[in-house]
Amino acid sequence: MTSLLQIGPIPPSTLGSLREVTAIKPMLFAKGPSFGIHLLVLAVLSVGLMVFDSRFDTLRPVRSQMGLVLTPFYWLADLPARTWDRANEQFSSHSELLAENEKLKAEALLMQRRLQKLAALTEQNVRLRELLNSSALVDDDVLVGELIGVDPNPFTHRILIDKGGKDGVAVGQPVLDATGLMGQVVEVMPYTARVLLLTDTTHSIPVQVNRNGLRAIAVGSGNPESLELRHVADTADIREGDLLVSSGLGQRFPAGYPVATVKEVIHDSGQPFAIVRAVPTAALNRSRYVLLVFTDTRSPEQRANDAALAQEKADREAAERSSDAAGKPPSQEATPVAPPALESRPATDPAPGGAAPIPSDGDR
Amino acid sequence: MAGPARKVWVIWLTFAVALLLSVAPLPEFMQIGRPLWLALFVTYWALALPDRVGMTTAWVLGLAEDVLYGTLLGQNALILTLVAFLVLSLQQRLRMFPMWQQSLVLLVVYGLAQLVQLWLHALTGNRPPTLAFILPAVVSALLWPWVLVALRGLHQRLRVN
Repeated sequence: MTSLLQIGPIPPSTLGSLREVTAIKPMLFAKGPSFGIHLLVLAVLSVGLMVFDSRFDTLRPVRSQMGLVLTPFYWLADLPARTWDRANEQFSSHSELLAENEKLKAEALLMQRRLQKLAALTEQNVRLRELLNSSALVDDDVLVGELIGVDPNPFTHRILIDKGGKDGVAVGQPVLDATGLMGQVVEVMPYTARVLLLTDTTHSIPVQVNRNGLRAIAVGSGNPESLELRHVADTADIREGDLLVSSGLGQRFPAGYPVATVKEVIHDSGQPFAIVRAVPTAALNRSRYVLLVFTDTRSPEQRANDAALAQEKADREAAERSSDAAGKPPSQEATPVAPPALESRPATDPAPGGAAPIPSDGDR
Repeated sequence: MAGPARKVWVIWLTFAVALLLSVAPLPEFMQIGRPLWLALFVTYWALALPDRVGMTTAWVLGLAEDVLYGTLLGQNALILTLVAFLVLSLQQRLRMFPMWQQSLVLLVVYGLAQLVQLWLHALTGNRPPTLAFILPAVVSALLWPWVLVALRGLHQRLRVN
């Protein structure tokens, strides 16, 4: 390398032979040492920055501000695709729209039927939770975001969405699409956020088999269509077609959201564990709209405390009410209580003690 | 003095275009061979105007790329600085070479850069499982003549210096 660096300025006689005549700018500082030192300084600076960035959080705000400046790049880069989509929409034919409308109506009907069932189930769920004295929270808040960019590196599975710190997005927040879990937020900028998908090789998620509650860890394989379950015993009860849902262990993802369906289970006597591959239920490389879930940020102890307080308050209110309706013993009032949790269910339900068993029969 | 200084924006505009190209959506099968646009553009300007575009410019651009990609700050900066260094130290020969020979030398330069990139990726925990990481270097080397012709055209037409 040093021999290269010791080349002096170009002698004027060779200049004529260069093709880029207008581009000629004889190098002013072709001196070896200053060149190497320049590289050394910048390299040390880069390495220092990298170490600092990976070990400390101090650079986060700087990064997020720089992200604000560079977000328009993603927006611009995506512009042709979006314009094409929009033009397509404009010119899609009348009959196509009618057909789509039909389809959506049918779908809405189906969904409504399921929703009715869900209302009953939710109600039952709330009742059971009350019995268990657990948290009042049943439904999570969600925010809809739109995909605006995909990580250009084909070996990482990350996407950029159009919701950021200003919308209350936080690092670690779970992200879903209409059919299942997609991943989690790993970087928040003011108006955008980066989401790490389930299938990234550095991502794993605690899951359980919906059928029997068997727990496992689903690790990304780097292939957008495949997850791997690690350390599943050869004798474990897991079959092709089993639905895997998030187990909520690890306290990052809310429990009970569909994650993947088991595609194949290979029992190889030469391997200590069964090889289990699953296909994510979410359309990881096709979804354009994503849902950001706001789960409870409280710690489990805090949540238990809050739940206990809420229960106590509910009990007290119940006792007061029973003393108002004089004559009835307070013990009978214990079951129909806890209105704070029931805001989401149908208004027609006055929750008399006997209402609970009916929906549970009805949804079979 | 005002004349030459006014034209510097052209250089930065081309860098902005390179940044745009490096995040532009591509079909799935082409993702893996995405050309190193920024490296290509830095190479051209470092060859043509070595006293305007040097390692510091490359480093700053690398930082911008890091923010854009969400990688560790300094990762792409280090790579681009390395590319700029190699190009600047080979500058006097590269300018004499015919295009295909330039492409060959740049293939080695970009290959080295991608190798360092691979090491850095391995350190941060996501190592690509295949040898495909070398593909962008090949694609970039093949693209070099076109980039050279296009940027030289721009350079001469607008008289950037």
